[in-house]
Amino acid sequence: MATYFVRRLIQAIPIVIGISVISFLIVYLTPGSPVDKFRTPRVSPEMIQNLIRLYGLDQPLPIQFWNWFTHFWSFPWDNLAWGYSFTDGRPVRDKIFQRIPSTLLLMGTSLVVSVIFAIPIGILQAVKQYSWADRLITTFETIGYAMPTFWLGLILKQFFAVNLKWLPLYGQNSLGKQGDIPDMILHLILPVTTLAVVSIAGWSRYMRASMLEVLRQDYVRTARAKGLSSGRVIGRHALRNALIPIVTLLGLTIPSLLSGAAITETVFSWPGLGWLGVQSVGERDYPVVLAVTMIGGMMVIMGNLLADVLYAVVDPRIHY
Amino acid sequence: MASTETIRPGEASPAGATDFDEVDLVSVQTYWQLVRRRFMRNRTAVFGLVLLSILVFSAIFFPFIGGDAWHLTDLTRGPTDPISITAPLGYDNLGINIFFRLMKGLQTSLIIGFFAVLIIAGIGTAFGSISGYVGGKVDNLMMRIVDVVLSLPGFFLILMLVAFIGSVVSPMVVIIVAIGITGWTTAARLVRAEFLRLRESDFVQAARALGASDSRIIIRHMVPSAMAPVLVAATLGIADAVVTEAALSFLGYGIKPPDASLGNMLTGAQDYFYRQPLWIYYPGITLILVVLAASFLGDGLRDALDPRQKLEA
Amino acid sequence: MTQARGQQDALLEVADLRTHFATADGLVKAVDGVSLRIRPRKTLGVVGESGCGKSITALSIMRLIERPGRIVAGSIKFDGQELTTLPDDEMRNIRGNQISMIFQEPMTSLNPVFTCGDQIAEAVAEHSNIPKKAAWDRAVEMLGQVGIPDAKRRAGEHPHQLSGGMRQRVMIAMALSTDPELLVADEPTTALDVTIQAQILELMKALREKNGMAIMLITHDLGVVAEMSDDVAVMYAGKIVEASDAVTVFDHPHHPYTRGLLASIPRMGHRQERLEVIKGVVPNPLNLPSGCLFKRRCPYAMPICDNQPPLREITPGHVSRCWIAPDGGRPELGEAPTAAEAESAAQTLTVVNP
Repeated sequence: MATYFVRRLIQAIPIVIGISVISFLIVYLTPGSPVDKFRTPRVSPEMIQNLIRLYGLDQPLPIQFWNWFTHFWSFPWDNLAWGYSFTDGRPVRDKIFQRIPSTLLLMGTSLVVSVIFAIPIGILQAVKQYSWADRLITTFETIGYAMPTFWLGLILKQFFAVNLKWLPLYGQNSLGKQGDIPDMILHLILPVTTLAVVSIAGWSRYMRASMLEVLRQDYVRTARAKGLSSGRVIGRHALRNALIPIVTLLGLTIPSLLSGAAITETVFSWPGLGWLGVQSVGERDYPVVLAVTMIGGMMVIMGNLLADVLYAVVDPRIHY
Repeated sequence: MASTETIRPGEASPAGATDFDEVDLVSVQTYWQLVRRRFMRNRTAVFGLVLLSILVFSAIFFPFIGGDAWHLTDLTRGPTDPISITAPLGYDNLGINIFFRLMKGLQTSLIIGFFAVLIIAGIGTAFGSISGYVGGKVDNLMMRIVDVVLSLPGFFLILMLVAFIGSVVSPMVVIIVAIGITGWTTAARLVRAEFLRLRESDFVQAARALGASDSRIIIRHMVPSAMAPVLVAATLGIADAVVTEAALSFLGYGIKPPDASLGNMLTGAQDYFYRQPLWIYYPGITLILVVLAASFLGDGLRDALDPRQKLEA
Repeated sequence: MTQARGQQDALLEVADLRTHFATADGLVKAVDGVSLRIRPRKTLGVVGESGCGKSITALSIMRLIERPGRIVAGSIKFDGQELTTLPDDEMRNIRGNQISMIFQEPMTSLNPVFTCGDQIAEAVAEHSNIPKKAAWDRAVEMLGQVGIPDAKRRAGEHPHQLSGGMRQRVMIAMALSTDPELLVADEPTTALDVTIQAQILELMKALREKNGMAIMLITHDLGVVAEMSDDVAVMYAGKIVEASDAVTVFDHPHHPYTRGLLASIPRMGHRQERLEVIKGVVPNPLNLPSGCLFKRRCPYAMPICDNQPPLREITPGHVSRCWIAPDGGRPELGEAPTAAEAESAAQTLTVVNP
């Protein structure tokens, strides 16, 4: 297991380099230069030249990439490692690290909520396949899955925050209530619901399909032939097997939560990494954009690795 | 017991027992007839096809008869005007006919969806077929490239491209290209898998034995067979592309007013949360209909095209 | 063979069983009027091609038929108790306890995520009130009994760590762990290598003697039937076409289908020019021919075969569903009954007979 883990980490290196090159190129090849916004009549051409030198923009492309890349991976990261934000001059590292807890809170909560609802729903549907309950839930799932998160977020906002005024409209805390837990939970409800509705729709469909697949298997028939109750056949024999692909998928979808969260965070002004990314793109704050993209890429790689590890944990047939 | 010699095989009269007119002909069908039959039997799939056709028709027909109505402001009209046949959804705060604007937005979405998926299918087929046909080290390298693209945070990348380049080039073109160049990996993997299977199949081996060139084998024999999974991936891809466009425009980076898009109509509707609560439903429901139609059709095609389902159907 | 089978107490008595499947393409009558009887401590071999309904018969007896299938008619009496109408929880008490079943595919019949010992102990614990530890000990004991070396260690292993033959032994251990009176074995050796097949059959024979249980052995392999069975029932397209004790069926087969099956097995010491095979394929269950279901493949087909033949007694205890006269001769001309007569005759005979 350990050697497999190390081998996978080594295999990830070229992918990390690939992600770095592509992200860097997109930013670099973008028309216009980061110093363009300083080009006003009040800034002299010499000062612009100084800025260009300061940012290292006069260096050849490979050197610029190398400088950025080596700095990016200089662990432990100092203030300089990820550069400074173009908008407020703070170290990018600080801006990112400040946002990570909020994103983890939102993503983690919605993931837990989704799984808690989706798995029993999927089991119910599979066991009662083609019943009216299954058909009804399938209809809801289909609509839920087709619903764009930002639109659902808007609807929920309009209904619960604007019309009913039950829940706060945006943010992580009300003004002057920083760190107040009950207040934060109130703020969490709408964005978590938004993310959860869509993922419950997706997960329960997977769970239903996985369970139906398992219920067809010979070993389920064996379990029935033993005289076990259907509760035990489903809850023990079938469920353990049906969860195997789900757990794997879980690892694979964690990274996609980031882009899902980016939109939801923006809709609800949730101060997470996704919203930071969206804002920074708009402000052309390249160092921040690069860092967010890189973290997104790392999450994909880690998610894949996590999926493999989880797979080995839940399936006794897998040995690395 | 008496022997069985009294009757010999074949001795019996052929009249009664060998009524071959009853032999069932169900199994004698071509692949495409079977696909069609399976598809037509799937009510959800047919519904998807019908719904998508209606949407496509609306997106062509209504902007055509509406002319400039989708962006013409008329300050004598406003949200309080009663709805009418010519303005079934009323007018917005600038006096623009909401229905025609919605149809124009739908047109934008469908154009983006269609062309983005075309790029996805094109790159995916080319990449996957070369990778699968050549195999070996080339295949390995190409699959590592797929891994890299898959590991990129797709939505962010599209967002970056659209935000950074969209101000120079037409944002519609940038959105199409951005979705296209980030979204082709699934199609490529499907085509590659199909090619790996076909490469060893009898008819390709036969073509090779007859001296057909590689490019001829790929284009004439293998690509047509590999098109089924691409068709499915492309149909399902329309839904993704349309939602991505809407999200980009909603965030303010994609299609910007005065151009119409389902996404920027939502952004606009946000400012009228209190007074015009229905405004966010028009583009939202249109979006959901497109997504539903494309996924029903895509799922239905997948089920119909899967040869393994022959027995169950 | 003149034994009065009808008067003997049967352990299992199936009468006019009909199990139908409502598929999208139409109604499949997988089992359509099957009657059979299993004597205590005896083995009944049920023979037929795949798709003839023999597995569905077995699953019907276990009440393991799932949608879209359903037992639509008939009776299944086990130890005098009617199983078709038994409440689910009482049926569960019989299933895996008094009637156990083993399946064709040892590779997929065991749950991959649980250890072998665990899966056997679960069956034991389900049908008795013994503590967990005792159930586990019983599992290890059973693994030893079915000839698995180093049973203690094997009990802690997962199925994928065992070969196919070993897995079938585990299945047998699981089935026998509750001392059933009847073992339903659905093609227990089909998926195994020939040498392993022989070992498993030997094992089943030995355990049959030791435990004094009856076996319903389902197979397409007449060699296996000859090896194991006291009685034989031959099935074709959802119906019994011939049934008797094994000696009669092998020495004096009556139905052309049975003759075809017998002719298609190679025999030691018999010089055969070529192996006889039955022409054609099993009829499409959605489009069964009228009259005799076998007529299209039958080398003896006659005009009368357009009428459905009844299952009738050839000699005492030997029934066959064919118009050919009991002595093997051509049925007398003009004897052909109307379809309605044939049907009513068929029904009385199927219920009353074997």
